[in-house]
Amino acid sequence: MTVLSSSSNLLLLLLMSSLDWLSTPGSAFFMGRHRVMSPAPLEPHITDCISRDQATFQCWWSPGNFHNLSSPGALRLFYIKKDSPASEWKECPEYVHSNQECFFDNAHTSIWIPYCMQLRSQNNITYYNEEDCFTVENIVRPDPPVSLNWTLLNISPSGLNYDVMVNWEAPPSADVGAGWMRIEYEIQYKAINTTKWEALEMQPQTQQTIFGLHIGKEYEVHIRCRMQAFTKFGEFSDSIFIQVTEVPINEYTFPLTLVLVFGIVGILLLGMLIVISQQHRLMMILLPPVPAPKIKGIDPELLKKGKLDELNLILSGGGMGGLPTYATNFYQDEPCVEFIEVAVEDADTGEKEDNQGSDTQKLLDLSQPVSQHMNIGFSNVVSFPDDDSGRASCYDPDLPDQDTLLLMATLLPGQPEVGKRAMAAERGARPLVHTQTEGPQTWVNTDFYAQVSNVMPTGGVVLSPGQQLRIQESTSGAEEETQKKEKEHTGGEDSEEDKEKELQFQLLVVDCEGGRYAAEGNAWQIGGPHSAPMPGEGYQTIFPQPAETTPAATAEGSQSPYILPDSPQSQFFARVADYTVVQEVDSQHSLLLNPPPRQSPPPCLPQHPLKALPAMPVGYITPDLLGNLSP
Amino acid sequence: MPGNIRSVSFAWMVLVYLLFCSRRASVGAAPICANAQAGCHVLSLANLFDRVIQHSARTHSISNDLHSEFEQYFLPSKNHIGRVSRNCHTSSILTPNGKDNAQRMAREELTEVILKLLVAWRDPLWHFHQNMAHHHDFNNFSSNKALEMSDMVHELRKGVEKVAEKMQVLGIISNTVSSLASPEASLPSDSAEWRLMKDYNLLSCFRRDSNKVQNYLKILKCRIVPEHGC
Repeated sequence: MTVLSSSSNLLLLLLMSSLDWLSTPGSAFFMGRHRVMSPAPLEPHITDCISRDQATFQCWWSPGNFHNLSSPGALRLFYIKKDSPASEWKECPEYVHSNQECFFDNAHTSIWIPYCMQLRSQNNITYYNEEDCFTVENIVRPDPPVSLNWTLLNISPSGLNYDVMVNWEAPPSADVGAGWMRIEYEIQYKAINTTKWEALEMQPQTQQTIFGLHIGKEYEVHIRCRMQAFTKFGEFSDSIFIQVTEVPINEYTFPLTLVLVFGIVGILLLGMLIVISQQHRLMMILLPPVPAPKIKGIDPELLKKGKLDELNLILSGGGMGGLPTYATNFYQDEPCVEFIEVAVEDADTGEKEDNQGSDTQKLLDLSQPVSQHMNIGFSNVVSFPDDDSGRASCYDPDLPDQDTLLLMATLLPGQPEVGKRAMAAERGARPLVHTQTEGPQTWVNTDFYAQVSNVMPTGGVVLSPGQQLRIQESTSGAEEETQKKEKEHTGGEDSEEDKEKELQFQLLVVDCEGGRYAAEGNAWQIGGPHSAPMPGEGYQTIFPQPAETTPAATAEGSQSPYILPDSPQSQFFARVADYTVVQEVDSQHSLLLNPPPRQSPPPCLPQHPLKALPAMPVGYITPDLLGNLSP
Repeated sequence: MPGNIRSVSFAWMVLVYLLFCSRRASVGAAPICANAQAGCHVLSLANLFDRVIQHSARTHSISNDLHSEFEQYFLPSKNHIGRVSRNCHTSSILTPNGKDNAQRMAREELTEVILKLLVAWRDPLWHFHQNMAHHHDFNNFSSNKALEMSDMVHELRKGVEKVAEKMQVLGIISNTVSSLASPEASLPSDSAEWRLMKDYNLLSCFRRDSNKVQNYLKILKCRIVPEHGC
């Protein structure tokens, strides 16, 4: 079956090609663009048939070379509508002889039905071509759209191109409202000095955007339309002209942007200048310098880690004979240096520092000269000596530490001005306590024992006024230590200073060698590993000096406040007012306030110095502790 | 375990296939929900009309392309309308031949005419496609177009049937149209006329008929629901 069909197709092909060869030149109607201009005489023929609205149509004819037939009425047009096998030729329903046109109205127009046209002359000669047949929907060429106009959409940021929206209306003859004709439109545009038209894509809407037109150029736009899915276009509409000239607004925006840019750059430069010029200030504000420990007279190199031995040596006066009184100022160029002053009276002391002396000064509420000294010392203490140390502190030097003053006030009830000063003063962290060098000189010859009238729970001692007794350095040391500890706690000093102070104000409770103080080296070492004093340690026992002080001890000079020139016992007993501490219980169960010297000094245990005697309140001994007292 | 997997995968494949088929089948015709059931997307009549009109426009466009291609390659510069058009197998269906006639025709009649035309072209197009597939001188593009055309007519017919249903539900037309759905009413499909038509003839006939369908649908729409884009 398929072979048959293909062979029949081939036959048809051959037939049609032969027919094509035999076709007459008059059938130029449906040939489209290939109009054959044959030399044979041109007989009357139908030139064109067009429908505008798919409801009516017109046909035009031409007499060809037969000019005798050009008069109206010489040729007559006949048509046949092939809607049934029994159809016949009919004459044109309406002639328009001026145009040689035949008009078919609605009544005579049928769509989808083939029409064939033929021309007949007066003498019944028929000029007919088989190819002049058509169906009306295939010859529809709509009228051009009307009301073509354009609006500017936008201009590109560069100011060189712009977009345009073109809109129009459907041709009034085409009945798009009823849906009878569906039309699509084609816009074409070109610059006026060019020849090639640009065609946009065909679409059925009545508006379209043209992109990318150039500013300043003039463009010509026209439009045509056709039925959807058909091939024949209508005529072009009349052209419209589009031109957009340059926009002057750019001139205003340009200097504005320039000014803005320059302004920003200027501000940035100014900011940078300010930052660079005030660099140091800014650094100070943002990153304030942290003060490092600086001891007057000591090379800051020694304060670094790992150089403790040298430091010890210097501080104990071993190296160069102690610290010079007027130490070289290592920190000349740092005005705001706060010093830890290690007070050294003379070169040959080498003993304990005089800070203790000055501190015992503080602790004492002595008679007037003492208090004067005290005042001096105190004032000296309070007002930092600026004899050789330059500017002592960056902080307000006239205001002593609040805590220190408070402590002093409590310790010395007879010093009202201290209290006042304490109240008045408000200090921040106090790194150190200054000592002074001349105080203890005058003071050492006066009474240096004071009776502890009360001990505060915090560990501080309250000295009773008017006592001639001086506290031993152990007590003072204890007080000192507690005081220092308090200060340290309140002051929040660093551990290095703590360690130093511990070295300086070391408790020597245990009198290992019978009232003789250990050598300076030992003294420090004993006190080295010292834990924080317990509250009970505030109640240190007072070990009075044994009577037989070695000549060496006495030879140490009157500098040391711990060597009594005369028997302390009698003094001791003479001065005790209310309290005294039981030192020992002898074999007869009598309380010894002054223990006999031991034959062999007990080994000095470097740890807890109160091992020998447990902590007990001053003046009291409990029965269970009694047993401990037996030698 | 592998048996379980196999059965599960088989069930999945069946599901997917069903889904795909149902999707494919419902491309042309929009589902109409009778009682506005849940999950059913109710389309308005205007929407339905738009869809079928778009479909018919597409069908006509394809037929036009095929026809011009055929004409260009096989029968250049020839106009054979006069010769071949009377052999269309749908010539026996009475169709309005003008705008006035179509507008004057009753809605039910017009709908009937449309459906008759669509029914009449189902088989011939299918066979046309078969012919095209076997001919080596046609390229694949044309063959695909023929297949598409055939499918589209099928879908279009279903779509128009749905539109008719909806119109009947809405009371716009009487219930005389539904009788066409039965295959007995299809006219010339069992006649052998169309088998004698040649390909070109068939194409030109179909081109004309698809244009008719498109026009009738548009007229119907603008008569019934004129508010949306007429």
